Amino acid sequence: MSESVMLVLVPFIVMNAVIGIVTYVTLLERKFAARMQSRIGPYRVGPHGLLQPIADAIKLMMKEDVVPTAADKPVYNLAPIVFLVPCMFIFATIPFAPGLGVADLNIGILFFLAISSMEIVGLFMAGWGSNNKYALLSAMRAVNQVISYDLPFIFASLVPVLLAGSLQLGDIAAAQSGLWFVFYPVIGQLAFIAFIASTVAAENRAPFDILEAESELVAGFRVEYSGMKFALIQLGEYTHVLGSSFLGALLFLGAWSGPGPEWLGPVWFLIKAMFVFLLVTWVRWSFVRIRVDQILALSWKALLPMTLLLLLATAFVVVWRTSGGA
Amino acid sequence: MAGREVQTVQDVRRHRDARRTGGTDIPVIVRTILSAMRMTFMNLFRKPVTVHYPDKTRNYPDRYRGLLALVYEKDTGEEACIGCRLCEYVCPPAVIKVEMLKSEKRNYAKSFTLELYACEFCELCVQVCPTDAIVMMKSFDMPTTDRRELLLDKDRLHTIGLSFEQSWATGNKLRDMQGPPKAARPVAHAPAAAEAGKPAAEGTTVS
Amino acid sequence: MSIAAPGRVEVDYAGSERLTMNMGPQHPSAHGVFRAILTLEGETVVGVDAVIGYLHRCHEKLSETLTYAQYPSIASKTDYVAAMTSEFAYVRAAEQIGKIEVPKRAQYLRVITSELQRVASHLLWLGTWCLDLGGALGGGATIFLYCIRERELILDLFESLVGARLLYGFYQVGGVRYDLPPGWAKTCRETVDLIDSRITEYERMLEDNPFFMARVQGVGYISRELAEDVGIAGPLLRGSGVNFDLRRADPYSSYDDFQFAVPVETAGDCFARYRVRMVEFRESLKIVRQALDGLPEGPISSRPGLKSVAQTRIPKGEAYARVEGARGEVGCYLIADGSAKPYRMKWRGASFSNLAVLPHIIPGHKVADVVAIMGSVDPVFGEVDR
Repeated sequence: MSESVMLVLVPFIVMNAVIGIVTYVTLLERKFAARMQSRIGPYRVGPHGLLQPIADAIKLMMKEDVVPTAADKPVYNLAPIVFLVPCMFIFATIPFAPGLGVADLNIGILFFLAISSMEIVGLFMAGWGSNNKYALLSAMRAVNQVISYDLPFIFASLVPVLLAGSLQLGDIAAAQSGLWFVFYPVIGQLAFIAFIASTVAAENRAPFDILEAESELVAGFRVEYSGMKFALIQLGEYTHVLGSSFLGALLFLGAWSGPGPEWLGPVWFLIKAMFVFLLVTWVRWSFVRIRVDQILALSWKALLPMTLLLLLATAFVVVWRTSGGA
Repeated sequence: MAGREVQTVQDVRRHRDARRTGGTDIPVIVRTILSAMRMTFMNLFRKPVTVHYPDKTRNYPDRYRGLLALVYEKDTGEEACIGCRLCEYVCPPAVIKVEMLKSEKRNYAKSFTLELYACEFCELCVQVCPTDAIVMMKSFDMPTTDRRELLLDKDRLHTIGLSFEQSWATGNKLRDMQGPPKAARPVAHAPAAAEAGKPAAEGTTVS
Repeated sequence: MSIAAPGRVEVDYAGSERLTMNMGPQHPSAHGVFRAILTLEGETVVGVDAVIGYLHRCHEKLSETLTYAQYPSIASKTDYVAAMTSEFAYVRAAEQIGKIEVPKRAQYLRVITSELQRVASHLLWLGTWCLDLGGALGGGATIFLYCIRERELILDLFESLVGARLLYGFYQVGGVRYDLPPGWAKTCRETVDLIDSRITEYERMLEDNPFFMARVQGVGYISRELAEDVGIAGPLLRGSGVNFDLRRADPYSSYDDFQFAVPVETAGDCFARYRVRMVEFRESLKIVRQALDGLPEGPISSRPGLKSVAQTRIPKGEAYARVEGARGEVGCYLIADGSAKPYRMKWRGASFSNLAVLPHIIPGHKVADVVAIMGSVDPVFGEVDR
């Protein structure tokens, strides 16, 4: 196949696969959460609820698109797209198997972190353009929170980078063929925990979902969106969660390494990403949320110093290793 | 209260800022977070409490206050309702309308309408009925898309009475359960629980 | 900075802009229909205007047109979460005026159902409070569903006793309407034991949780003087250090036959009220066990069974009867004129008086705390608006 055709075909396939997985990940979350709450979750639509995401998608597409008259129309209409596109971009650098990915950039993780920080622009556009006090309040909280937690997220992700010695995601995955980074004594586990904590917060998931606090701000910055725009925002959120799960599986859990033949690699990768996702979901459904000032205090006073120290310690370990220690 | 200060914003702030935080005792925090997560994890393996209605229904207890119905007398097969209108007068939201039809031996109800959409299901009509004609069923299964279908006339009430299982409560049983002990009863009043379901020996109540 | 007029506080945030935000009647955490107009400086609330009346259904006028036999099942609809409390106040008032004796067995049955109602109401309170704190999609929902699962057990008990799950019509002037069916006492004891163990689980899940404690401690402080001045009652009062429980202070319906403790906490914040209610759970379950053990035989009503609508006539007189409900003092002031219908009836709603404390304690907190405070005040708007 010619290069240009591959250049278009591979991202197309990846994007569709991602959207497909994301819709079914919502069903997985709903069933998992339901079981934790002594109930069943979607059951009637399709066998055991398997057609529920499709029914939801069709419903959202058919809904009326209500636009508030006093909303800032260009900002309001563009916000879901500005929110969704970076979330989908993060899948560009993730290799699903050695050599199988859209673009295994040699600055892979830097690209991931930079692009995922751009969603905050879309989020704030949504909050501002809605011309709604609830949305504005939530957007202000969101900017605070996401920016505060991106820093520990970056530092926690840098620990595997230091241990592997490269920014390229394919190299990081390959460096774990011996021992997964999460099993490195102390450093690996602490980095994994910090990664999970900061990813939960950067994605506005409970217990840090103060910006969409249903009981206070109803739906936060999404409150004025309906129909397909709302679907785009939901898609963006879950894509980001999934992307971070894939990144976590790649950085800490060894990506595609697992028993069995080579072609099982992507399957193992998917399973590990689902494990990280379920971990995030489990945290979500177990805790009440904390207030925004407490969230910010946790980030600046606890997570950031901890990840900085962790990074320093990792640097020491790497130097000690390469200079002839064990 | 006017003018006198019993609590100021400083009080609020002082208490808010002096709260005992959990402290930054890391092992405690970690232990409690893990224990909360363990609780939800344990629940994954408990059986869900969902009842798959309408495929399965749960067991309704004997005294369930469900749909209302008119019944026939057991021995003669005639309509039990004598059109006395006591239920119409006792109903708090006044949903029952009865017209009496006089006859030689006994009276009947010429028409009996019950607006089920406004009914409170308080069982007062069942309680006052002297002939146990109006009763409640052990089911509420009457979903409909048109409110007019819930305006029940005498025929529909009789049909409901034949379609579902009847609850324990009838007028006489309720009145017997509630009254003070009968003067003519030879034995000290037996536990009312054991008497549930047995009519009074004499069949009349002391008023 | 004094609170000259509740609702408006002059806070020294010079130069910043104030935002008026409406936590409107349609709101996931308004606990019913309640409108709070908040004035915000950034995230801090500086003023609260409360608007109520969205659920007014003219109970007091309605009671003048319904007889003493008909109204108790309507009285359930004021405090619909713990419905029998309102019925209790009404029939007690009528019995006080008419000097009607209530048989001992009926008194014990009233105590059992009142305490079970208290447990059911507190379960709902805990669930909805955690729902407000944690979100409908999140940890709050998990605890909510656990509490509802337990509350269903109690409602099943009521269903086998009365036939109804939420709004009963169990009380009548002179006693109660239904007696225990066979096997009820055994099922009740099993349910009580199960709920006791589950409450221990919830306490463990919540109390050491640093997230929960951070949200709840130090928030919503009600000083003892404010509590006594404003006229709140129930767990709010006892959480601020005032030892006043109607079941002790003014015992009614054989409450002095039972051994139970009245929890009092002095901290005055949301956590103190939470502790009061958690202890009240256990004490209520203790009372139910004692009442079941000591249940005397006898009639369940001193009046004959209801045969006609105007059977109960109360002579001329007036009385105020009060009951310790789950939320506080529920009172019914009744003026009878010798006929089968009251001349005038006035409800003292526990939540109505409790809501009066909100403008004094909310200013100074953040928006997220408003929800926590409202949840710990536990209003039910059927009682507020009647």
